[in-house]
Amino acid sequence: MSDNEPSIRERLASRPTDEANSGGDSRVSDVSASDFQQTHTDPSAPQEHLTGLQFAEPLGPPRELTPAESKSAERKVSALFLLSVVGVVGFVLVYAFGEETYDQPNNWLYTPLLGVFMALALFGVGAGAVLWAKLLMPHEEAVQERHDLASSAEERAATATALKEGLAQANLGRRPMLLGSLALGGGALALLPVPFLFGLGRFQNKEIKLGTTGWREGVRLIRQNGTPVRLGDLDVGAVESVFPDVDHGTKLADSPALLIRMSPEELRLEGEAAEWTYEGHVVYSSVCTHLGCPVKLYEQQTHNLFCPCHQSTFDAAHGAKVIFGPAARPLPQLAISVDEDGYFVAQGDFSEPTGPSYWERG
Amino acid sequence: MSVVQKGADGLGRGIDDRLGSSNFVRRSLNKVFPDHWSFMLGEIALYSFIILLLTGTYLALFYTPSLSEVVYDGSYIPLKGVTMSEAYASTLHISFDVRGGLIMRQIHHWAALLFVASIAVHLMRVFFTGAFRKPREINWVIGVGLLVMAILEGFAGYSLPDDLLSGTGARIASGIMLSIPVVGSWAAFLLLGGEYPGTELLDRLYIAHVFIVPLAILGLITVHMMMIWYQKHTQFPGPGRTEHNVVGSRLYPVYAAKAGGFFFLVFGVLALLGGLAQINPVWLYGPYDASQVSAGSQPDWYIGFLDGSTRLMPNWEFYLGGYTLSLNVLLPTVVMPGLIFTAMALYPWIEAHFITKDKRAHNLLDRPRDVPTRTAIGVASLTFYIVLLIGGGNDVIASIFNISINQISWVLRILCIVGPPIAFVITKRICLSLQKSDEHLLHHGIESGTIRRLPTGEFVEETVPLPAQYRLNLTRVAGDHEAIEGGHGDPGYDLEAVGHAEAPRSKGFFRPKGVSRVDPEQAERTEVGALEPSGKPGSPPQ
Amino acid sequence: MNSTATVRKRRKQLSSYAVVLLALSLVGTLYTAFGAPEGQAQDAPANQSMAVKEGRELYLTGCSTCHGLNLEGGSGGPSLIGVGASSVVFQMESGRMPLAAGTQQAPRKPVKYEISEIDQIAAYIQANGGGPELPSADNADLADGDLQLGGALFRTNCASCHNFAGSGGALTYGKYAPELKSASARVIYAAMQSGPESMPRYGDNQLTPEEKRAITRYVRYLTQEADNPGGAGLGRYGPISEGLVAWVVGITALVGLTLWIGARA
Repeated sequence: MSDNEPSIRERLASRPTDEANSGGDSRVSDVSASDFQQTHTDPSAPQEHLTGLQFAEPLGPPRELTPAESKSAERKVSALFLLSVVGVVGFVLVYAFGEETYDQPNNWLYTPLLGVFMALALFGVGAGAVLWAKLLMPHEEAVQERHDLASSAEERAATATALKEGLAQANLGRRPMLLGSLALGGGALALLPVPFLFGLGRFQNKEIKLGTTGWREGVRLIRQNGTPVRLGDLDVGAVESVFPDVDHGTKLADSPALLIRMSPEELRLEGEAAEWTYEGHVVYSSVCTHLGCPVKLYEQQTHNLFCPCHQSTFDAAHGAKVIFGPAARPLPQLAISVDEDGYFVAQGDFSEPTGPSYWERG
Repeated sequence: MSVVQKGADGLGRGIDDRLGSSNFVRRSLNKVFPDHWSFMLGEIALYSFIILLLTGTYLALFYTPSLSEVVYDGSYIPLKGVTMSEAYASTLHISFDVRGGLIMRQIHHWAALLFVASIAVHLMRVFFTGAFRKPREINWVIGVGLLVMAILEGFAGYSLPDDLLSGTGARIASGIMLSIPVVGSWAAFLLLGGEYPGTELLDRLYIAHVFIVPLAILGLITVHMMMIWYQKHTQFPGPGRTEHNVVGSRLYPVYAAKAGGFFFLVFGVLALLGGLAQINPVWLYGPYDASQVSAGSQPDWYIGFLDGSTRLMPNWEFYLGGYTLSLNVLLPTVVMPGLIFTAMALYPWIEAHFITKDKRAHNLLDRPRDVPTRTAIGVASLTFYIVLLIGGGNDVIASIFNISINQISWVLRILCIVGPPIAFVITKRICLSLQKSDEHLLHHGIESGTIRRLPTGEFVEETVPLPAQYRLNLTRVAGDHEAIEGGHGDPGYDLEAVGHAEAPRSKGFFRPKGVSRVDPEQAERTEVGALEPSGKPGSPPQ
Repeated sequence: MNSTATVRKRRKQLSSYAVVLLALSLVGTLYTAFGAPEGQAQDAPANQSMAVKEGRELYLTGCSTCHGLNLEGGSGGPSLIGVGASSVVFQMESGRMPLAAGTQQAPRKPVKYEISEIDQIAAYIQANGGGPELPSADNADLADGDLQLGGALFRTNCASCHNFAGSGGALTYGKYAPELKSASARVIYAAMQSGPESMPRYGDNQLTPEEKRAITRYVRYLTQEADNPGGAGLGRYGPISEGLVAWVVGITALVGLTLWIGARA
């Protein structure tokens, strides 16, 4: 190792001043090739033909660290490694003795403390390793040749020949029956998984399932807790999430609806839809016709129904027609009436399929 | 000889006797990696994935992918006695009753966000420096595949806790499947096992999340890394760096120490986030219920652009002879991402055939300003993406900044159409003017501040020529001269076409007509080929 | 015992250390769990008519310009007949009334009146206009409900607008559901009772007083008492703030680290 020689970097840096006299014209760098050919070889390193390496800079630190500097660097790195011990000890202590369960006081500290100590442990080792490389390992500029990725023309030709020869030996070209039957057999085999694929789903009555909900004629409107809704329970300006009073009615994903009460003169429905209401009470599906999110944000003054997922906005006073957003269809309306005990009941299923559109929907 | 050394020698000899691995090991240890901070961005993704595997395995020991109903009896008081799915109950159990379970969950979730984010950052680096060019197109395509897989994996994981948020996400996903023409309802029934929500959703998502998709990611990552290894890493131009060499530090010990240390640093950042920043507090969302929703229901950030495109889409739906075509869902959630990812995967070939017309192999990277069209395409695409991403959060923005959600939506609708072209033009102009300023530096040097009086009485400012290594950075002469024709290292180039691939297009836009970026005479004098220690033919044929 | 004490002591030290770390950390905003102080519990005035009388004085000076001398309303404000005491408590104790400039929606403001004065005005309006009344004037009493029931009802009825954690959310055309952290038990209860502005009204036949108390308890618990077991809550806006932190904190930190590693020593 020749310590006295200036490094390439230094020589490069000094070069421009030499050129300054030449007027600093537009000449692109003429970094001389020799800068890189005069590479430094470390006598102790393996020979070049074994490593495929050359070095553009002398091996060893950019400049020799003084013993004090070297000691200080070593101390820094060691301190970081030891920090990991602190982190792990802290982590174990918190982990073992911390109050981790939620019903105890100070639990809010448990996870943050674990995180801090864990990070300390990880940062110690990580930063130590990096700093070790940065401060104490030689800053080499190793140069390695790239090998050609493409094969030579001969090799390509030889490979092509081998492929062709194999084909010829298999006689595929001259035996069309073999080829044809292989194609058929292989194709048939490829279809074998398809039945299994179909086994993944139960497709019986697919369209009926998609097109209908749990609502039927005479089914009561119940709340999530199962209690039926009676006429007069809702004030004007109120809204209630309702479900069909059938088996698992509150769990059916296509059936949830909103019972809304407004003053009868505010409700502007036309035709049949007007008869589906009861004294200012109107029921719409709360499953968005766009992508199925619950449309439950009801503004009682504007009668807007708003979907929080994609911001489709429906006007509940006007048949839940779309007034903003990506939904294309109004929310289906459920015809309701009141039974002899004063409870709300459905007159039948929704006016049309609830939820997102699908191809066969019509 | 110490005992340790003796032991190591013995072990090494024993292995080499059986595998003959010395040559391979030595060559691997001596492998040179170019040193640049931006080459470590992909490592973040790799390390995040390893951390995901570690934390995910731990979580899988406690998680139950079941929709069966149980009554919660853990230590989170507000949900005590509430009926919920086993999946949700087990997630609560991990969060509150497994020691250190919450931090595992949080590190896992943060790692998922950072996994996709670091893939995105890495992808931008690769794109803007042209690292995807021949011969690395296949690895680019694998990278795009990894991005898609990472997004799918994240989405599957997001849906597992079966809290209100994840259920809402699954519901939307099933709605998206239904919108596909002809086969939509079949696909949805096939994946869910029946009508939404079905009973199988969680089992299938779970298998996808812990086995199928991670396996695919692992496989793709392996191929990705093997190809980097085999093809060797790209490098930025600089003194002594040519198309035919790699300049940097060897794998062992410097690179290994840095890269290994970096793994722990990434893990440390994730541990800090997992400990100090709450992520997905499932206990607040409550168990999934098809009739419930929370304001501001959002996907994780990497799905956000799809949420945004869906929100901004006009409500186009068509009814054709008894069939429904929901373009309002299909276009933003199926067609658009399909086109984006396909175009992204094909970009290396699109660029080589239509933009730069440069089909040669490259190992030296571009500076973004040197390929204005590519850079402009990238920035325009990013603009589009970011507009959609903002769209995905427009309700939270409206809520925090007290603006009308409808106004934001309209502004974003317009921006996602006019924004990208504007970004394209601006970026291209910025690139070209940066080129011009580089050219000025190159030709006239740095202004020294020293004023000199000429014999004629004229005052001129003296300039100092740029130091050589910077000059090499500023001119792509080296890179262009040496682009490898057919991968053979044969510099069969045409002097007229040398210099800047973009030069003909940019003439007269920001640069005076008739002044090309690099004049041939100057290029000749460079003799970059001679820089190579290998002595490969690289100098221009005379 | 001694060792337990030491551990406990050390844990305390760790705790104080962690507090400093948490405060220093840039990881999101750590929302301190203290909102507006609870309204002082106010004994019902011994003499109800006295309160009505005082309330009338306050009404005539502060409210009648817009709402009319006899609660009949006017160009500046709606009629107050039938709104009831709960509406007064909601509007005045949250500072929404008296109204400042005309905005899309009455915003929360610093409260202008003493709680006792608000109660007097409420008594006056209740006596003269009628309408839904608060079952109690006492914050503690109004929040005395079943936490689990409250949670279930909150998720069914409230979370859709006010968000899962009561952080509020956007509605259509500039309207919004406010965050619930700064709302006292009285204000929360009164809001359900009176259905102010966009908010639907929840009468006693729909949500019983017991259920409303449960919801109030849950909201107070959620916004005031509950700890964040996993670190800073990041505003509890859901995945948006998490994504932002992932990029602004996570990716920035990691890219910073690559710069450090890549830089020459």
